[in-house]
Amino acid sequence: MSRGLWDRETVALLLLAALMPMAMLWLWYGGAAAFGRLWLALLVAGAWHLLFMLARAQPPSFAGALSALAIAMLAPVELGPLRLALGISFGVIAGELVFGGWGRNLVNPATVALAFLGFGFPAAPWPDLLAPLAWAAIPAALIGLAAGVMPAGVIGGALAAGLAAQAAAPLPPGIWIAASVALVLLVADPVASAGTRLGRWLNGALYGGLVILFAHWWTGAAPVQIAVAAALLASLTAPLLDEAAIALWLAQRRRRLGQS
Amino acid sequence: MSLALSAGLLPRFTSPAAGTEEPVEAITEEAGITAEAGQRLRVTPLVAEGARVAQGAPVAALRDHPAIRLVAPMAATVAAIRLLPGSVLSEIVLFREAGGDRQDHPLPGSDTAALRATLQNAGLWPLLRRRPFGGMPGPDERPAAIFVMAADTRPLAPSPHTAIVHQQAAFGRGLDALGQLTDGPVYVVEPAGTELLERGRAGGRAVALPCGPRHPQGLAGLQIHHHRPATAEAAVWDIHAEDVAAIGTLIHDGVVPETRLVRVAGSALRQGRLVRTQPGADLRGLVHGYALPGAHTIRTGSPLDGGAAHWLGPRDRQVTVLPRQGRPGAAHWFRAALTRSSLPLPVIPTAALDQALGGALPAAALVRALGAGEDEAAVRLGALSLLEEDMALADYVLGGEANLAAQLRRTLDRVAQEVAP
Repeated sequence: MSRGLWDRETVALLLLAALMPMAMLWLWYGGAAAFGRLWLALLVAGAWHLLFMLARAQPPSFAGALSALAIAMLAPVELGPLRLALGISFGVIAGELVFGGWGRNLVNPATVALAFLGFGFPAAPWPDLLAPLAWAAIPAALIGLAAGVMPAGVIGGALAAGLAAQAAAPLPPGIWIAASVALVLLVADPVASAGTRLGRWLNGALYGGLVILFAHWWTGAAPVQIAVAAALLASLTAPLLDEAAIALWLAQRRRRLGQS
Repeated sequence: MSLALSAGLLPRFTSPAAGTEEPVEAITEEAGITAEAGQRLRVTPLVAEGARVAQGAPVAALRDHPAIRLVAPMAATVAAIRLLPGSVLSEIVLFREAGGDRQDHPLPGSDTAALRATLQNAGLWPLLRRRPFGGMPGPDERPAAIFVMAADTRPLAPSPHTAIVHQQAAFGRGLDALGQLTDGPVYVVEPAGTELLERGRAGGRAVALPCGPRHPQGLAGLQIHHHRPATAEAAVWDIHAEDVAAIGTLIHDGVVPETRLVRVAGSALRQGRLVRTQPGADLRGLVHGYALPGAHTIRTGSPLDGGAAHWLGPRDRQVTVLPRQGRPGAAHWFRAALTRSSLPLPVIPTAALDQALGGALPAAALVRALGAGEDEAAVRLGALSLLEEDMALADYVLGGEANLAAQLRRTLDRVAQEVAP
C-alpha cells in the first residue's frame, strides 16, 4: 500500500533542509572554528543517540542533527570542547532522550543545552551573530512554512509582536538578528511549541514579547542570551497556552452547540 | 460558524478511467453477507444451507435483537452459512438463482413503530450507523440527529449524486421516514453548490450542510463532530444518501432495492468500472476481466480505509484493486531489538496532520490523548463523534506508523465499557 510521507524522520529532514541556507552561511562566515563546533556537537549528540539506541532501544533521529546545529550556532564561545560537550550532553539527554526521543520531549533540547551553558558558565561571552544570518532566517522560515513543518502561528505571533514593538520603540538590530535566528532554530519547533492554533499564536507572541521585555529592561545581557532565555520561557509555557486555547475552544463549542 | 470549505487534503490515487460515465448493471453470481469490518454480529440463521430464498427475504436474525434481520441481496440458494464460535457471523454465501422471486414487505403506513419494524425486518437497519462507538443502532434507539451523507470525498469514491439522481422522489420519502425516527434535525451533507434537498422534508427538520471537495469533509465523522457531537447519552446516526433512497423505495413499493452504485477503481486495473451491483457482491466477479496481469489485492472500501475482502462490505460503495506487495519481511533480530521498544514512533504535529483531521479540531492534542490513553481528554475533544474511518487519512498521511485508527478504537472500547450499564 502506498503511504503518506509525514513520518517523524521526514519532518526532521525537512526541518534540516529548511535550516540549510542558514547553516551554510554560518559555516561560510565562521570558518574552521564553526566547523569544529558543529563537528563536536554532531559527534556528541550522535553518540548519545547511539547509546540510547543500544541501551534503551530508542531509534535514533535526524532531529539530533537539528539540536547539534542550533547549539553550535548559539552556544557561548570560548568554552572549550569539554564544557561544550557537557552542555550538549545535558541538553540532548535531559531535554529529549529521557522522554523517549524526539516527538515525546517537552522542551527543545537545544534550548535546554543553551540555557544550561548560559547559567553554568556565565563568564563565557555569547556569540555575535552576523546580519546575513537574519536574512537567511527568512528562507528558512519560508521553506518550513511551505512544507508545513514549522508552526505558522508561532512565526506569525512572534513577527506581529516584533513589528508592534518596532513601531512603538525601535529595537537594536542585534536583538532582531538574534531573535530571528533563535526563532527558526529554537522556537518554531513543531514538537516543543504549542499544538493548537490559538496556542501557537500566543506562544509566538509570548516569545516576541519576552524578547522585547528583556531587550528594554535586562541590562548587560547579550542579544543571543536574551533570545535563548525568551525561547526557554516561551517553550515552558506552551502546555499552559495549549490548555487555555483548548478551554476556550470547548467554551465556544458549548455556546455554539447549546450543550451543557 | 461553519467548516472551512477548503480544509482537508486531496490524496492522489491513480486509477484508469471508466469506459462509460453511466453506471452499468453488474450482478455477480455469488454474494456474501458479512458484518462490517471490526464488528461482531451474533446471529441466528433463519434458513438452512441449500434453501432457496427470494431477494429481500430474511436469512438471519441478530441474537440480541431478533427483530433485526439480515436479508438476501438477490434470489439465491444458500450455499454456506459460516459462523464463528459464539454464533458470530463470519459469512453467509449465496449462489444466484436466475428468475427468482422478490420478497414483498408490508408497507408501514405513517406509524413510527411500524416503520422501525419494516426497516428492521427488511434488512435496511444495518445501513444505519450510530455514534458513539459505531455499529448499527439498537432497535428502539432514538437519535439526537441523523446525518445523511449525500457527499463522499474518499479518494475514488462514486458520487452519491449519480446514485440518487433518478430516485429523487424515493430520496425525499426516505428523508420523511428518517424524520419519524428522530426528534432532532436531519442534516443532509451535500457538495457545496448542489441542491439535492427539497424544502420542508422530514417534517421541516431537514437541514442542508455544504461540504467542500477535500477529504475528510465528506465523512460523517467530521460533520458530526462539528455540527452535532455525539455523546454517550445522545447518539447520532449517519446513513448514505443512496440508502435513504432505498428506505424511500421500501416504504412505498414494499421491496428492497436490488443494487447499489459501486465504483471499482485502483492502479491494478486495466479499466475502471462504475457499476450497479448487489450488496455483498463477489469482488472477484466485479474485477474479473478488468484487472491488469499480475498479482493484485482486492479491497472493499476506499484506498485509505479498505481492507482485503472477498465480499463487498455492508456499507461500502468502493472496490479498490491494488498491485499486491510482497509481505514485508521480518526485521533483522538485531535491528528489531534496537528499535522496537519505542514503536509506534511519536507523531510530529505538522500542518499535514491538522488538515488530515479537517482542520476543525485540535489535532495535536487529540493525537496525544489517543496515544497516551487519556480517555477523558480524548472524549472532551470529541472522540465520541469519530470512528476508525475518520482517522484513516491521518494514518495514511503519517506514513502508516502511528495507527491512530486502532488507538481510537481502543479508546472507544474502554469508554463504552465504562458507560455501559
